[in-house]
Amino acid sequence: MATTAAMTLNSDLMTGVLSANASTTMMKAGTSADGLDQMKMGYNKIPTGTSFDLLDATAAGIDKATKVYLCNESTDETYYVTIVIDAKTIGRLYGGDWMFIPWNQDDATHDLEITATGGTNNVTWICFHEGETLGTQAD
Amino acid sequence: MATTASITLASDIMPNFGGYTKKMTLTEAGTLTDIKETTGYARRQLSAASKVDLVTMANLMVGEDTANLSHKIFIKNIGYRDKSDKTTGVKVYINSVEIGVLYGDDWMLCPIVASDGEDIEVEPLTDDTVVLEWVMFYEG
Repeated sequence: MATTAAMTLNSDLMTGVLSANASTTMMKAGTSADGLDQMKMGYNKIPTGTSFDLLDATAAGIDKATKVYLCNESTDETYYVTIVIDAKTIGRLYGGDWMFIPWNQDDATHDLEITATGGTNNVTWICFHEGETLGTQAD
Repeated sequence: MATTASITLASDIMPNFGGYTKKMTLTEAGTLTDIKETTGYARRQLSAASKVDLVTMANLMVGEDTANLSHKIFIKNIGYRDKSDKTTGVKVYINSVEIGVLYGDDWMLCPIVASDGEDIEVEPLTDDTVVLEWVMFYEG
């Protein structure tokens, strides 16, 4: 089955049809032979006011083909989370919004950070990746 | 009908991962009002490993908006001449930060800011010809 992401976009904004379909099989960087083989997922409650690292960039993720799905599950449309990468704001996900992006953990400062506004925001996230090894027990 | 986007994720990496589906309606920031502006669907052919503007914010009706509204962009690497290639990638930059690389058939749908003249830029990894399709929805 591999790992796939498919999307359908439909809009009636224009008088003609505006729609798009896309489907990708998630492969390791620069190859069509080897699929991504690791994933992690979570559901977090993000209180307002503090910026949190949702996903930490690691050296193992540099120049890889990591993909991240993130959804703001809040039911209040005025709530939103601000997405920041490398200290620069990328955009906002309001209640009900989702995003799907490639994520190059360019360096250790390329964390995917999140800040909630409006109230406690609930988010679902899934990260498909490769190359991560567990740290050795320290204590 | 409004503007809607649905995603379906499937994977056999993790045993018992049942897949995931989600649909969203694109709305203006903090409301249930349908988003009203779009660039329309576009394509751009690239044949050099140099950074270029895919979307110039100042050219949109919204101009350089500092309010961080509910803009979204969809970008897809469709390859070249009906052939997608997982070895031909294009880096995508938002707000001058490299987000990641779209290899052949890869796509992204991402919220974006439209501020401070920070255009959406793309940069192929090689000089191989590659075509991107994209559409942006924004709050004017």
